[in-house]
Amino acid sequence: MKHYYASAQIIANLLKWILLVSLLAVALLPLLWLLVSSLRTNLELQTNPFGWPEKLQWVNYAKALAMASLPRLLLNSVVVAASAVILNSIVTAMASFILSRERFRGRDVLYTVFTAGVLVPVISFMVPYFSFITKSGLYNTLLALVLVYTAVNIPVSIFLVTAFMKSIPRELEEASVIDGCGFFKRFSVIILPLSRSGLVTAATFCFIYSWNEFLMAMLLTSSIESRTIQLGIKFFTSQFITDYASMYAAVIITIIPSIVGYVFLHDKIIGGLTAGGVKG
Amino acid sequence: MQAVGTQRSRVWGARVLFLLPVSILFFFFFIYPFLFTIYTSFTSWRGIGSMKFNGLANYTKLLGDPTFRKALGNNVIWALSQGFIQVPLACLVAMILVRKPHFWRSLRTIYYLPNVISTVALAMVWVAIYNVEGPLNAILGALFGAEKRNWLGNPDTALFAVIFQTVIYIGYFMIILLASAMNIPRSLYEAAEIDGASTFQQELNITLPMLRGSLITTMTLAMAYGMRHFESTFLMTGGGPAYATTTMGIDLYLKMDALRYSEASTAGVFLILMGTVVITVLRKIFGSSDPMSEMAQ
Repeated sequence: MKHYYASAQIIANLLKWILLVSLLAVALLPLLWLLVSSLRTNLELQTNPFGWPEKLQWVNYAKALAMASLPRLLLNSVVVAASAVILNSIVTAMASFILSRERFRGRDVLYTVFTAGVLVPVISFMVPYFSFITKSGLYNTLLALVLVYTAVNIPVSIFLVTAFMKSIPRELEEASVIDGCGFFKRFSVIILPLSRSGLVTAATFCFIYSWNEFLMAMLLTSSIESRTIQLGIKFFTSQFITDYASMYAAVIITIIPSIVGYVFLHDKIIGGLTAGGVKG
Repeated sequence: MQAVGTQRSRVWGARVLFLLPVSILFFFFFIYPFLFTIYTSFTSWRGIGSMKFNGLANYTKLLGDPTFRKALGNNVIWALSQGFIQVPLACLVAMILVRKPHFWRSLRTIYYLPNVISTVALAMVWVAIYNVEGPLNAILGALFGAEKRNWLGNPDTALFAVIFQTVIYIGYFMIILLASAMNIPRSLYEAAEIDGASTFQQELNITLPMLRGSLITTMTLAMAYGMRHFESTFLMTGGGPAYATTTMGIDLYLKMDALRYSEASTAGVFLILMGTVVITVLRKIFGSSDPMSEMAQ
């Protein structure tokens, strides 16, 4: 039927796969290179940037973990990210419940204001954040980072969770009211359990942000006691100055939580992005 | 909700209680900083002591500052390259994946992966890749016999190098575009097929027009992100060499670090302003009505 187009089709097909495979390489090769480099010796790294390790150097990981600060920095990151995720989930679940299930004047304005927060570049707030955090005595504390990460994620979380809660059929709630459920019961027994999936999506975005965030952590903390792992691999790698292999091992350790999380939750992440994109 | 309406004041108390935590956080981390940034941009303030009103002095100073002008120019290049190279490339990939070639699901998942990896880690990898003795020079040397370059250390190539690495983040825009491409009714293509339209004609006359709304969305996002770019450049070059890669965000940080707080605030106002300009200009050019948003309703 389409004989004339046959060769053009083959070429188009070829070009298509060249593009798809090159993008695959661009997405994966940096990470693979990092992984392979973390298992080589420094001598191997110096003589040839590529190549497989002669013998897998797991000792690099032992050396990285033995670095004075790494376990502490990892612990700080876990505490900060977990606290921010929990706090963000609680406050946005409460607010989204009101914004999606209650009817009152000004509700849509309030929703618009909260979600418009995504349009504001948070990096333009470096001066007020620094001055405010310092004045309130929170400078160089994990709490400062927990509050900033919780707050910065509010617009995205409100958007995702409110949209999800809106999709719950009203009949379910009305039935519960007839059964005598009050305000708090409607929230905790009906809406909250049904919104679990939306909350997990929001929490995933909040975790990724909090685990990876760099600028605010740099701005608002100054010592190992309250710094996160991202600052650790940026600034404390001076300890590794001649030991690149161990430094790469340390970096791999810091990205494992993100990769593991992504493997399990990528459907939620992709679903969350889609919710925002299609509606524009 | 008749039953609820009878206990008005108690319900209002509960509503306020539920909105309070988010409102407080939003006030302290969005509204107050926004007003604070604008206010301090009209004062001379060095972080301590009183704020003295000095009118537009910071604005004229900043606009005359060659470093800030360089940063502003770089941000414009960033925004254009993200909006007009990154997004069209993402769109092309989405148009391929929507036809569900082999492994399209896995490809979609892997293309997004770099977006969840920390910028600190990836920046470190790219510094190694761009190194004089690094993999990029080795590949280019082997393939084309190209001379070794110091990609990030040379002012002529540094900006290109820091922008080029953003190609790894293409999955973000691709996923948004792919989702709306998947919403296009198959019947449109079937009808075109019957009319004898080639694949290329179908893409041109069906997919692209139907993607218009999402393309505007992703372009707006991409350009707004270009305007507020900070992290990977700061980590790779610190804005150097000789300010070749500096951005408004980096300039803001360095001014703040030098205790020039009110100038930093003024740079912050420009950051917000340029983001707003991007959004309004794109809305003006393309309008906000589009087939996709009508379909979504």
